[in-house]
Amino acid sequence: MLDKIKSNFTTQTWVLIPIAIAINVAIGQLVLVLKLPVFLDSIGTVLVAVLCGPWAGALTGALSNVIWGIAFDPGAFPWWPVAFFIGFMAGKMAEWGFFKSWWKVVVTGIVIALTAAIISTPISVYLFGGITASGSSFITAYLLQTGQGIWSAVVSTAFLTEPVDKITTAMLAFAIIQGLPKRTVAGYPKADQVEIEGGSDKNQMYIAIGIVVVLILFAAFLLRSILGG
Amino acid sequence: MHERLSFHIKRDSVLHRLNPLTKLTLVLALIMVAFTSPWYWTPHLLFLFVIIPLSFIGKVFREFFFAATRLILPAAGFLFLMQAFFQPIGEHVIFKFYFLDITQESLMFAFKNAMRVIVMVSSFTLFLLTTHPSELMSDLTRRGLPGQFAYVIISTLQILPQIQSKSQTIISAQRSRGLDTEGNFFKRAGSLVPLVGPLVFGSLVEVEERAIAIEARGFTSKSIKTSLYEIADTSFEKIIRWGLIIIIILSIVLNIWL
Repeated sequence: MLDKIKSNFTTQTWVLIPIAIAINVAIGQLVLVLKLPVFLDSIGTVLVAVLCGPWAGALTGALSNVIWGIAFDPGAFPWWPVAFFIGFMAGKMAEWGFFKSWWKVVVTGIVIALTAAIISTPISVYLFGGITASGSSFITAYLLQTGQGIWSAVVSTAFLTEPVDKITTAMLAFAIIQGLPKRTVAGYPKADQVEIEGGSDKNQMYIAIGIVVVLILFAAFLLRSILGG
Repeated sequence: MHERLSFHIKRDSVLHRLNPLTKLTLVLALIMVAFTSPWYWTPHLLFLFVIIPLSFIGKVFREFFFAATRLILPAAGFLFLMQAFFQPIGEHVIFKFYFLDITQESLMFAFKNAMRVIVMVSSFTLFLLTTHPSELMSDLTRRGLPGQFAYVIISTLQILPQIQSKSQTIISAQRSRGLDTEGNFFKRAGSLVPLVGPLVFGSLVEVEERAIAIEARGFTSKSIKTSLYEIADTSFEKIIRWGLIIIIILSIVLNIWL
């Protein structure tokens, strides 16, 4: 187990991590310039996770927050577990073969979004009493006013806001990897995970659509049961 | 264009001379106590009687004050307002505005939460003001942190300004080609790809070269590396660190107990 993890941390992995963190920050700021309603601050994390394995992705995510804290805003430190699990889940999904075609990447995006929502909720509730300084807290506040409990309000907000961001992140990471020269990709430990599958395989697409529908239904069911209770 | 990427300010003070690990433990203790202490006024008192005096001892009060007003107050103030308005707790309504009402309880709750966040962010700011990142990293490496982690942190702090200026160049270049970065939503979303593409591809191409370069300098060598700088650590500081850890445990125990 430990040897398997170690084999993912080649010199090239260690060199990619700082660049991925810098990409996270640079794209996060680019999105602010373009005034788009997403964060897109984990593209680099997903790139590392997919190319070098879940643990490398998790490390990239956690260190991204540490760097963000050192360089720009010390308030970013407590959110490191969220970034950690975004990287870890992205890597696991790629390991399970969910980074080989557009449809599967969308599924990966949704799974990452659900993970992020689940991990960020306790941090938000325990540290900030559910209402953080981010704009999406207006939704939480509204839900609280309608008489919801703090946990359900925070979870619903995260379920509403995360998927768009994380699906876009996963798709952009996929596009970037497909755009890289094959020779460059081949240098990373998990290069075989991103080989695109034959386009003729329609069954794969149907399976992926099915999974998306099931996941959305599951999320909706979860939301309803939380909201109802 | 030179952007300062670390908060660190070079001064000569007791706080600067302390071992980085001692300061890190102190920060951790301040945060843990602020969040777990069962007494309402703990975060407020910690801020007034520990963090602010420490910023004077570290001779960085002016910078600390500016960082606080620039970073901490907007975030904490916003948090305070949001929580004061939207926490649906308490019965003693002080102020009513349409469907929003501020109660005595929500006001107190918001005040405590904002103060906790202020303690957290300001103690970290103070730590970063008085500790140079590479000093922290070489001390932690000496204590057994793998050198690769130190490499990642330090080299990210070096690469970040480069990538940021690259991103500025790409934005200007694409704008001069007529890319619409200020139009309607769909135009702005569409311009994401021509901006992200060059930035990412340009940076990723360097990876292999860098890997070969640091490999040639013994990056993966297993032998023990010597350090150019010695970082002082006294046995007195060791005692302080253990004392702080005991305070953290006490605070957590009290929180569970009461």
